[in-house]
Amino acid sequence: MRSINEIPIHVLSPDQMLTGQAEAVLSEIADLLARLLETGEEGSIDLRSLPLSPADRDWLDGKLGRGEVEIALEAGGRSTLYETAYAGVWKVTHRDTEERVVSEFIEVSHVPAIVKPAGADIENAHERLQSDLKQITQEGNER
Amino acid sequence: MNKEETLLDHMEREGMSRRTFLKYCASLASLMALPPTAAAAMAEALGKARRPSVIWLPFQECTGCTESLTRSHTPSVEGMIFDMISLDYQETLMAAAGHQAEEALHNAMKDNYGKYVLIVDGSVATGLDGAYSCIAGRSNLDLLKEAAQGAAAIVALGSCAAFGGIPKANPNPTGAVAVSDIIKDKPIVNISGCPPIPVVITGVLAHYLTFGTLPELDGLGRPKAFYGETIHDRCYRRPFYDQGKFAKTFDDEGARKGWCLFELGCKGPVTYNACATTKWNDSTSFPIESGHGCIGCSEPDFWDAGGFYKALSTPANPLKYVGAAAAVGVAAGAAVSVANRASKNAAKAAHEKTQLTDLEK
Repeated sequence: MRSINEIPIHVLSPDQMLTGQAEAVLSEIADLLARLLETGEEGSIDLRSLPLSPADRDWLDGKLGRGEVEIALEAGGRSTLYETAYAGVWKVTHRDTEERVVSEFIEVSHVPAIVKPAGADIENAHERLQSDLKQITQEGNER
Repeated sequence: MNKEETLLDHMEREGMSRRTFLKYCASLASLMALPPTAAAAMAEALGKARRPSVIWLPFQECTGCTESLTRSHTPSVEGMIFDMISLDYQETLMAAAGHQAEEALHNAMKDNYGKYVLIVDGSVATGLDGAYSCIAGRSNLDLLKEAAQGAAAIVALGSCAAFGGIPKANPNPTGAVAVSDIIKDKPIVNISGCPPIPVVITGVLAHYLTFGTLPELDGLGRPKAFYGETIHDRCYRRPFYDQGKFAKTFDDEGARKGWCLFELGCKGPVTYNACATTKWNDSTSFPIESGHGCIGCSEPDFWDAGGFYKALSTPANPLKYVGAAAAVGVAAGAAVSVANRASKNAAKAAHEKTQLTDLEK
């Protein structure tokens, strides 16, 4: 058998796979930012639904850069959310419990929706904390 | 999970957080081609849904459709299907056999009469009064007619149930037909593909639970959310098609550069499916990413469509053609012009190592 190195595969530089589609995504992000500023309406782009090549994705990530905030979400797998170098533009990547990417979005908002806790969850947390406090006070009295 | 419990109750009891559920809905909305902002509304409706009884009948099939679903990423998105529904009869997955299995089927049909969702995979043999394919001494034809009576809706899963598929390929020895050829008085959703994409069935069921109706269908009875666009329209190699950059053989410079596989027989332009966006093998890739054209498995009679490696005729005006394709569905496949035969012949001539004819055998 021939060695694997003899198989004539040419490695291409990523630039050769650029299709120009990512530029269109950038201008959509700009429109969504304008809308957020004017009306406060949040926007979102589903990156998985777009025909982007791997090089396009890298290009887009590179252009958007990294900002100051990074959030890790442990909910049915690890999700990562980070603010890009453009304030209000977030890259959201959801993964399942086996670390596979299940969806990817660009979110244009003050804070990504999934980060904010639901009202019912806060109510529940308040109740739990109160009952925990009660128990701690009781234990203190018994001592 | 009992049948009165809502999906959100069930998930909370299982220790699943609201954010996990929201994340699941965001992914599902993405797969269903709903706007990302629809996820929150979807989470609310889906959370309140009660799970329906599902009866799954296998006819002339290879179990590929079941494999596709069950080997997908449990416990992720598609795995949730088992939380969303009460799967009361599925021969391959159920523990019961023989009379017990038959009893489960009849109980499920009786208890949920008029309300259950019937999933069928495989085509229906009609030759010799259906004797070519029988379960427990009864023909598929007979079983289908009985089970369809009490069904709220029918899901024809896979190209065999949807269009007849491989059993119907020439010369069709068993007289195989699609579910919709037999049942005319029930809503039928065709989820074609050989096999179909697992998330499509989850998506259809999620739609049914979220909105209480079946999703919008195309002219061939397929949900538009997944079959609304061609493989070609969503293909990452599409820009190369627009630039006129084609691989002429499977091992030439163009193939290495990842150019369009149109001239190597890719059926992407006439095939409506979501492979290019949802992908396969846990979202790893889809055939074109591996350098092979689409074989059109989600279209009727793909097996008899004239060869997987025969190029479709090049349209005279690609952009105009795409517009027409979106408007009139699969019929546009017939509308492609036969203008560019010369370039096809040139492509054939360029072959030095592998001949198209070698691959067509």
